[in-house]
Amino acid sequence: MNHLETISIDQINRDDRRFCISYPLENPMLRASIEKVGIIQPALLFGPCPYTIIAGFKKVQMAIELGYVAIPAIILSNIDEKEALLYAIHDNLIRGLNTVEKALAIEKMSRMDFPMPPIFDTMVFLGLKPHEKVRAIHSAIAHAEEPMKALIVSKNLSMKNIETLLRFDRSERGPLLGLLSTVHVTEGSLREILGMMILMKIREGQIDFDGFSGVGSADDLKRILKGRMYPILTSLETKLEHIRQQSALPPHVDIKVDPFFEKEYIDIGIRAKDIKDVEYALERLRKALEGGSIGSMLELTKG
Amino acid sequence: MSLQRVSFVEAKGSLVRDCPGTKNHICCGYKTIDLIEGCILSCSYCILKYYINADGIKVHGDTPYILSQIEEVINAEKGHILRFGTGELSDSLALDRKYRLNRPLVEFFGEKKRALLELKSKWAGFDHLAPYLNPYTVISFSLAPQRSIDREERRTSPLYKRLKAAKKAQDLGCFVGLHLDPIIIYDGFEKDYEYLIEDIGRLLDLKKVIWISLGLLRFPPKLLDHFIENKRKSLLYGEFIQGEDGKCRYIKGERIKVYRMLYNQLKSKDDELFVYLCMERSDVWKAVTGMTLNESEALIGLFDKRIKTLYGGTI
Repeated sequence: MNHLETISIDQINRDDRRFCISYPLENPMLRASIEKVGIIQPALLFGPCPYTIIAGFKKVQMAIELGYVAIPAIILSNIDEKEALLYAIHDNLIRGLNTVEKALAIEKMSRMDFPMPPIFDTMVFLGLKPHEKVRAIHSAIAHAEEPMKALIVSKNLSMKNIETLLRFDRSERGPLLGLLSTVHVTEGSLREILGMMILMKIREGQIDFDGFSGVGSADDLKRILKGRMYPILTSLETKLEHIRQQSALPPHVDIKVDPFFEKEYIDIGIRAKDIKDVEYALERLRKALEGGSIGSMLELTKG
Repeated sequence: MSLQRVSFVEAKGSLVRDCPGTKNHICCGYKTIDLIEGCILSCSYCILKYYINADGIKVHGDTPYILSQIEEVINAEKGHILRFGTGELSDSLALDRKYRLNRPLVEFFGEKKRALLELKSKWAGFDHLAPYLNPYTVISFSLAPQRSIDREERRTSPLYKRLKAAKKAQDLGCFVGLHLDPIIIYDGFEKDYEYLIEDIGRLLDLKKVIWISLGLLRFPPKLLDHFIENKRKSLLYGEFIQGEDGKCRYIKGERIKVYRMLYNQLKSKDDELFVYLCMERSDVWKAVTGMTLNESEALIGLFDKRIKTLYGGTI
C-alpha cells in the first residue's frame, strides 16, 4: 500500500530525470496556482531514498523556486523502473501531452529497452499511429536541440512541418530557427517557407542564409525564396501584376488567371447590382482590350 | 533480380480498362491490360513503387479470363483501331522470361488481326517471345539518356541494349514504339537527348517506328515528398507547378521549350515519324506541333490514320 507522505526536498534526487517527460519544465500557471493554494496533488516518487521523481517534475521545480522545503508525495518502491516510466506517462496523459512530451515518452521507453509491442500500445494512448516511421520521427524530436523543441511546442507545429525541419542538419537548423524567430509565421506560411528552404538545400547543396539578411516578415522571406526557387513563375506573376496595374480595372471586374499559368484561358467576372454597373464594367473591359492588357494576360497563359 | 514478393492472384473484375487519362489533357485512348500489378525495376520516379508495390507484385495468371475481356472490348469497338498495352501498372517484359505471360496475348492478337498489342519495357530481353512475334505486337522501349538511366533506372537494361533489342524486334518483322518518357530536366540534358536522338536515327529503321511519345516528368504531389526525403536532386532540378489534374509538372513554358526541341530533332531525322505528346494540354500540342487537337478523340484519329498507313488496311 502506498501512503501519502511529506517528503523533504533534500531527499529527492532532482538530477535523475529517467522518468521526466515534462516539457517545458517552466509553467507560470502552475507556479501561480501553487503560490495561491499550495500543492494539492502529491508528486509520485520512486524509492528508495534518495527518491527519483516519477511524476511531478514541474511541481517540485516550482516548490523549490517558491522556497518549499518539503512536499506531499506518494512513494512507490514496489515497482520496477519500466513500470515507473509507464506510471509517469499515464499519470501525465490526463493533462494532455504536447508533441515533445510524447516524443520524450516514446524515446524513454526505447532507451529502457521496452519491446516494440508495449511502445506501440503506448503510442496509441498518446494518440499516435503505432508505426515505426512515427516512432523514428518522435525519437528524432526527443533528440532535437532545445530551440527546435521550444519552437515545436510554442507554435504547436504540425507533424508535416516538424518532419521538414528534421530534414535539415543541426548546423542548418540553428540559423534557420534564428531566422524564423525574427518573423511571425503561421503554420501555413511556415510550411511554404520550409518547403522552399528544403528545395534550396537539395538543389543548391546549402542554404544561403546571407540572402535573407534583413527580412522583416514571413511574406518577405517567402518572396525571396520563391524568386530563387521558382524564377519563371515569379517572373510571370510580376508581369501579371504589372498588367493588372496598367489595366486599372475597377474592383467589381475580376480577371482570374490560373495561379500556375497552366490553363490556356482566363476567367472574367463582373459583379453588378444594376445595368449601369454592367455597362461601366464592359466599357472598362473594352478599354483594357483595346489597350492590349487582356491580350497580354492571355499571352502569359501560353507559356 | 527481383527483391519483391511475386504472387499469383485470382483475376477478378475488369482487368482491361481505358487508360485513366487526366482532366483537360489530351489522351491517346489507350487500353490497358492489368496482367501484372507492380514492377521489379523500381525506377526512382515511378509511382508504382510507392503505391502498388506496397503489397508485392501481383500477377493475374488467368489468361483465358483476360483474353475474353480483351475480345469483348475489341468486338464492342466499331470506330477505332484499338491499342492495348500491359505496361501501365508494370513493365511488360521484365518478368516475362520467368512467367511467360505475354505469349498467349501475342498469339491472340496475331490471330485476331483487329487490334495492336504493345509490350512496353525498359528491359531488353524478349528472346523467349521471338518465335511467336507477329506484326500485331508492337515492341516498345522507354528511352532516356544513359546518364539518366544510371541515376534513375538502375535496375533496367542500359540504353544500348534497349536500342539493340528494338532493332532486333524490327528485324523480326515488328513495328517498334519508342517512349521518351519521363523526360527529366537536369543540367546538360539537352545535349544528352540530342545524342539519344542521333542514336535512334543511326541504329533503328525509322520507317518501322510506329510511334514515339514524349512525356516530361510528372507525378502526384505525394511523390514530391519522397524525392525530397531521398534528396533526389536530379528529379527536383526543374521548376514544378501543380497542373489542373493535381499532378506536379514542369511549368508550361519549359515544357513547350523541351518538347519543341525534341519534336524538331526527331522530325529532322524523318519527317514522317509519328510523334505524340503524352498527357498534354491542347495549347502545348499546338505550340509544339502546330496541330490543333481540342479533344482526345482527335489524337485517337491520328493513331488510326498512322496504323492504317503502316498496315495498309490489313487491320
